[in-house]
Amino acid sequence: MQIKDYIIRRLLVLPILIIGTSIIVFALTRIGGSPIGIYLSHEMNPAEVQEMKERFHLDKPVPIQYFYWIKGVSQGDLGWSGVASAPVVDVFPKKFAATMELAIAAGIVAVSLGIALGTFAGARRNKLADHIIRVVSVSGASMPLFWFAILLLIIFWVWLGWFPIGRSDPNLFEAIPHPTGFYTIDALLAGNFAAFRDAVWHLIMPAVALGYGATAIIARMMRSSLIEELQEDYVDAAKAKGLAERVVLKKHARRNALIPTVTVIGLTFGFLLQGTVVAEIIFRWPGLGRWMASAVLRGDQATIMTYVMFTSILFLIVNLVVDIIYANLDRRVVLGE
Amino acid sequence: MSPDTANTPDLLPENLISSVTDLKVYFQSKQGMVHSVDGVSFDIVDGEMMGLVGETGCGKSVTARSFMQLIQTPPGVLAGGKIQFKSQKNCRKCEGAKCDFCSNTGKQILDLLSLSENEIRELRGERIAMIFQDPGKALNPGLTIRTQLAEVFQEHRENDVLEKAGLANNLNGINSYLLKKYIRQETNLISKIVLKFPPFRGLLKKVDKAINGLVTKALAETQIPNPNKIMERYPHELSGGMKQRVMIAQAIACNPDLLIADEPTTALDVTVQARVLDLIKDLQKRHKTSVLYISHDLSLVRRICDKVAVMYAGKIVETGDAETIFNDPKHPYTKGLIKALPSMTHERGKLEAIEGMVPELINPKLGCRFASRCKQKKSNCENNDPELKVVSNKDKSHKVSCFLYE
Amino acid sequence: MKQDFQTSAVAIEDLNDSAFKVRLRRNFEIIQNVLENPTTVIGLVIVILMLLMALFAPIITEPNMPDPYQMPRDWQAARSAPLTPGHVLGTTNRGGDVFYGVVWGARTSLKLSLIVVSLTVVVGVIIGSVAGIVGGKVDEILMRVVDVFLSIPELIFALAIAAILGPSFTNIILALVVVFWVKYARIMRAQVIRIKQRDYVDAARVMGDSKMQIYLKDILPNSFSPVMVQATLDMGNIVLVGATLSFIGLSEAGIAEWGVLVSEGQAGISAGRWWASTFPGLMVFLWALAFNLVGDGLRDVLDPRTETKR
Repeated sequence: MQIKDYIIRRLLVLPILIIGTSIIVFALTRIGGSPIGIYLSHEMNPAEVQEMKERFHLDKPVPIQYFYWIKGVSQGDLGWSGVASAPVVDVFPKKFAATMELAIAAGIVAVSLGIALGTFAGARRNKLADHIIRVVSVSGASMPLFWFAILLLIIFWVWLGWFPIGRSDPNLFEAIPHPTGFYTIDALLAGNFAAFRDAVWHLIMPAVALGYGATAIIARMMRSSLIEELQEDYVDAAKAKGLAERVVLKKHARRNALIPTVTVIGLTFGFLLQGTVVAEIIFRWPGLGRWMASAVLRGDQATIMTYVMFTSILFLIVNLVVDIIYANLDRRVVLGE
Repeated sequence: MSPDTANTPDLLPENLISSVTDLKVYFQSKQGMVHSVDGVSFDIVDGEMMGLVGETGCGKSVTARSFMQLIQTPPGVLAGGKIQFKSQKNCRKCEGAKCDFCSNTGKQILDLLSLSENEIRELRGERIAMIFQDPGKALNPGLTIRTQLAEVFQEHRENDVLEKAGLANNLNGINSYLLKKYIRQETNLISKIVLKFPPFRGLLKKVDKAINGLVTKALAETQIPNPNKIMERYPHELSGGMKQRVMIAQAIACNPDLLIADEPTTALDVTVQARVLDLIKDLQKRHKTSVLYISHDLSLVRRICDKVAVMYAGKIVETGDAETIFNDPKHPYTKGLIKALPSMTHERGKLEAIEGMVPELINPKLGCRFASRCKQKKSNCENNDPELKVVSNKDKSHKVSCFLYE
Repeated sequence: MKQDFQTSAVAIEDLNDSAFKVRLRRNFEIIQNVLENPTTVIGLVIVILMLLMALFAPIITEPNMPDPYQMPRDWQAARSAPLTPGHVLGTTNRGGDVFYGVVWGARTSLKLSLIVVSLTVVVGVIIGSVAGIVGGKVDEILMRVVDVFLSIPELIFALAIAAILGPSFTNIILALVVVFWVKYARIMRAQVIRIKQRDYVDAARVMGDSKMQIYLKDILPNSFSPVMVQATLDMGNIVLVGATLSFIGLSEAGIAEWGVLVSEGQAGISAGRWWASTFPGLMVFLWALAFNLVGDGLRDVLDPRTETKR
């Protein structure tokens, strides 16, 4: 029963948080004065300027402007992007798909590599492999993404020339239809393996760069929770049954050690999300992050507002889901004591 | 390193199942080497229940865990001694015909401490089994009862499983290979996927059904009601007493020669305690299992054990028959323990406690470890270590380690 | 083995010592414990080296006139590789000495982190204390605000604020303060609530101490630890986020700041000029790493929860 109350409470608070966030975001944009600048050009005369103002409701008091914005959003109007020279709504889906593909690839790298490294280190505590992995994971948490990405770029693109930058080779990319917007999936669906390989090759560097920090955090958590589990009685009891080390480690200890690791995985989502901004700039990936970066430098407020709102809502939802999963898993272990 | 020390025969008298000789187990710590078990020797008679009694921290748990090499070797250090055990395998020299080498038992005598990982694994769960103090912690909270019990059969009774599934003889190459891997829990990702498809799937179901049968039978042995339902539950859904029965079922599943019970009833309610104790005693009598029963509760040990060894600060201070020890304790510590027990025959009034505290076990000095708390201390007690010696020639099984009797 | 054989050190304190002396001795013990961990010591060494570099920047390199925080422009020496005479780490596209940027960048980072961390601690501690002490509706409202702030990912929030305010170093400081004060408010509030319930606070109240006295004498000193840990970690993290913001372009161009340098060095990469971005970026990494190591070490000593070191 307690779990249900917890979930309901979190769900009720969610809209309040979203509204609060929207107020802050909106207030932010109005602090810098009227955003009329991006909609004007030098040729307009005062009458046209006034018309622009009225069109975007910039002649009304700020709270009213807020409601106009909300009204617009509910009708699917997210404003005009100066950077893309198009309505935000039109540009958003394609860039969203690009960023999602990158984030998911990075997530897969982080989770699989992180768990593997963490298990490896935890099972060989204080041996050489453990120390090496610990160094890697400590550095991962302090690693500036922009530096790591540039290092990868220098080594693997400039010097070795193994991987390309950008998202795809335009020739191969144009040859296939794009139902999902995920180049890897689209290529597989079209049965075009050259295009698939091309898409994957473009993904590797940015995904590794983006996922490195998360890998480190996951490995660290996996290692320490595995070490904790290995000290429990049931591990000795399993050994006392005559089971092989491998079985004891994987089937008994690691399975239980994965539970706290799952929360950390949820945490790393925030990392991945924020990292896309920088990663997309450096690897010339045409996603939301790079769009936001340009928007930020050119005062494209519609884009900024949409991006911040979108990432915040996504962030809130993912955190909520992770907390619910953990509450469910945890209960079983807690009741067992 | 040959486990049965090929050249010199180890003498393990025929009536013993196991003998501990001068066992020393130390632990590395920041402050120095902790002498947890410092020269412990005792015997376990075949078919009897041997009690190992002592207060918390005296080293009894470490001693118990040493039998199956369950001590983590950093930070633990095996500093000496041997634990002999009568295995079921035939003696190497006479092939079971009985000879001097095997003390006329016909069987191989192993030193458990010198066995390799693979060799000790063969014995664990099959010839020697262990039940732990807190069944809530000793059972994996994330796996069902069935899964955990099945593991014992999967590890040691592979052929029985196949036979029960009716697949003992008529399996071709790849089926046999995959199924055996499955039973032994040695499958990798590919074989796991393959096994999901028919015809493997059907065979797998038969194997699982056979295992289920073995599991329910084992559960029924410990008088667990509704084994089929209990099997599917998780440990946290069972009561303390039930959990301990499951632990016991797991331990006796393969009919081990030696059962090590590490304070199995300490974490249970008193009423449940009695039933679990009866169960252990009953099983022991029926299967003629030898039991090493660890406890801090002397009165409990007296009830069910045939022989007792009293341990203090890493050393054995007294051994003998349970009744003898209780009625005629020789060592001052044993006397103190018995006096501290409340009983119906005691007068009302204060319980006598033993003054003082257990000494530090880090790089201990020479001298009897109990000296600082002993009311009958003599002059040389603090300078020399006493040895375990027979009390009188009439009863050679009663031994004490105390200068009062030398 | 499950035994915990670490015997606890029993500190026999002279009962006649004043509370101040006792606290001093305890702090000394804490420092000793912290220094026992080798990784923490490594972090501390790097931190000290960074601080020295920042403080002695004008001595280590000739300050650029008129504004030493501007990168020097020597068009003739532009685009030189490392180890050319006079330019140990090479030069940027505009002839700025990379070594100069590294050294003065440390100074800039020190300024940034000190200012931001001081402000965030002060603001966060005040707001958190108010929420914890006053309680009730005020607490609820303040915590809702904190929750809203926390629902926007840190970097993105700072990005948006700095973007709105306009690209400048001061605006980055402002943006970071607005984003990062919430952590301290939360920590402080939790501490206040936790300690309010302790017996010695009741004792103080019975003895007649005013609320302010209780706050200053009992609550504040005991809340110190988690704030210290967070502040140390933030010293590293702030520079990391700040450099990222500068990299994206929200700082002034041409200043001696690591993020700006990495960004400006990007142009030369495809031509093989790796040094202008690599060395400043390395500094950001080392700075963040060092403070993370020290912060972790502090946390292990002040708040040991999970991993038992054996």
